[in-house]
Amino acid sequence: MNARTLVSPGLAIPVLAAVAACLAGTLLVLALGFSLGDALSSFVDGTIGSHYALAVSLNRSVVYALVGLGFILANRAGLTNVGGEGQIAMGGMVAAAVALHHGVAALPFGLAFLLPLSAATLAGAAWGGLAGVLKARVGTNEVISTLLLSFIAVWLVYGSVQSVALLRQPMTSGATLPESLPVPDATQLPLLTGDAASPVTIGLPLAVVLAIGMAILLTRSRFGFQLRAVGLNPVAATRAGFAFASTVVVAMAIAGAFGGLAGGVMLLGEQFSLKAGFSSGYGYDGLVVGLLARGSVTGVVAAALLFGFLRSGGISMEMGAGVPTALVMVMQGLIVVAVAGAAFWLDRRGSRS
Amino acid sequence: MTMELFAVFLGSSIRLAMPLLLAAVGELVSERAGVLNMSLEGMMLAGAFGGAVGSWATGSPTLGLFIGVLTALPVAALQAFLTNTLRANQIVTGIGLNILVLGSTTLAYREIFGARSREAIPGFPVWSPPLLGDIPIFGEAVFRQIWLVYAAIVIVVAIALILRCTAIGITLKAAGEDPRTLERAGLSVIRVRYGVILFTGLLAALAGTFLSIGDIHTFTEGMTNGAGYLAIAAVIFGNWGVGRTVLACFVFGSATALQFQLPAMGLDVPNALLIMMPYLLAFLAVAGVVGRQTAPRALASPYWG
Repeated sequence: MNARTLVSPGLAIPVLAAVAACLAGTLLVLALGFSLGDALSSFVDGTIGSHYALAVSLNRSVVYALVGLGFILANRAGLTNVGGEGQIAMGGMVAAAVALHHGVAALPFGLAFLLPLSAATLAGAAWGGLAGVLKARVGTNEVISTLLLSFIAVWLVYGSVQSVALLRQPMTSGATLPESLPVPDATQLPLLTGDAASPVTIGLPLAVVLAIGMAILLTRSRFGFQLRAVGLNPVAATRAGFAFASTVVVAMAIAGAFGGLAGGVMLLGEQFSLKAGFSSGYGYDGLVVGLLARGSVTGVVAAALLFGFLRSGGISMEMGAGVPTALVMVMQGLIVVAVAGAAFWLDRRGSRS
Repeated sequence: MTMELFAVFLGSSIRLAMPLLLAAVGELVSERAGVLNMSLEGMMLAGAFGGAVGSWATGSPTLGLFIGVLTALPVAALQAFLTNTLRANQIVTGIGLNILVLGSTTLAYREIFGARSREAIPGFPVWSPPLLGDIPIFGEAVFRQIWLVYAAIVIVVAIALILRCTAIGITLKAAGEDPRTLERAGLSVIRVRYGVILFTGLLAALAGTFLSIGDIHTFTEGMTNGAGYLAIAAVIFGNWGVGRTVLACFVFGSATALQFQLPAMGLDVPNALLIMMPYLLAFLAVAGVVGRQTAPRALASPYWG
């Protein structure tokens, strides 16, 4: 046994990259002439400083985790879903449309929020599945199609809140903002504590259950094996009786469903009214989370928490200590580049020798 | 549409298409050789930032242009190192670089300009070529452009000729279609690919400086706002050919110009539809609706030798 096998590079690299990025962030704060003490105390205030901050950070992590879980599922089949942003946008838009539909708020048994949430999931599944269909039937690279679909979805949301005939709130004056009406109370996600001072939604337990389900699906189920077979060698998988086309479509649809669900959770859990660009950046952050996780559910959870708190802390640093949130972006960029650069190389080296 | 409005529309279509054109043709060169630079957006943004800061600090837009190129080249060099030496996933590293550049330029912009944001930055003057500029109605509206527009046209024509008629064109094609054969012929795939990525960085930097000191004479945070992705979409829509890529850029540029023109003409077309159109067209293209797409066979796959 040599030193190399003691620490798995799969785990060591993301951790090292995250630590290095935090160091770089600290150095940047100092180099830009901000007080490190102020920056750190604002960071703490914005993450674990109050029940409210903690709840907001957790809600953010839930969105990242959902997108990240979808990403690793598709990735198991050799697919890279970069369309989280668009899937969130579609999910949020459809959730708003359904929640604002006449009569939905009056539904009993929690259907008032379950129905829009399910619709959001389906919308995301359709948006992701579309890329899967193209991959299976025309051979379109899913990276390009999901990226283009993201732009289309983001502008669909923009368009839908520009027109009163679609989702824009009735224009009562020239100052009426281009956004939808807030969704009715009954359609909003219930809070775990029931207390608005600590607004953790039921999205959190939902994400935990889905994460456990995903871990079982990926490691213990026939479908998980099928995904891996198609991902490793489509030709051999087809010979072994796994249909390539349907596996690709289903994998992309599930990845999209997770993105759509994340959009629904965002809209019904914290945003309440649909605004242009409401998904801004969440999908790409979720993609980064999925990437950092390197295929493991535990990794998704860890990375989602890291990024959720990092983002919240970053926003708080900007408000409290004047440190631009762009600092967090620099850190994220460093992490992605380092992990993608180092890990891929190690993987391939390992598999080739 | 009156003649005058049409001339203005034509002029602004050209102006809006130029940054896309420079970036897309640069990206086309890389993709011909089998490299997909998702970091095109980041390279453009770095160029736009360097150009603006350089022009502001030196007072000379020409020096700004050089500084813009010098700012974008490290991004391209990093992409080349990740792609060729580390054989990393090109898409993922590209997206990572975009996040990194967006964060760094925003930070640096705030640091340098601080409260003095929105300060006017010296930019290139507009210029009309002789004869063409004298054409009635169109001369003024269409041909009065900064010299970079004319330089871009020359660059694009030169690249088209090089790709079509020279050994360099064949070498790039080999690197993108069948890298092993290129290697057997005694050329290094890795070196060729380092070269094309740096070249893409150069053109992306020109495209970026066009945005900041050619068009609006200022820098805003994240000002490329997806133009890099749009340029990649143009290459796809252009089916990896120079002519069709150029056409795609002009279609995308016109769609953007229409956003400003249609309200002036009293037509009520949803704004979102026009902004979305380039992406929608590119999507239809990759979906195989407009004929079969033939990407270079080795596109985005690392070369292991």
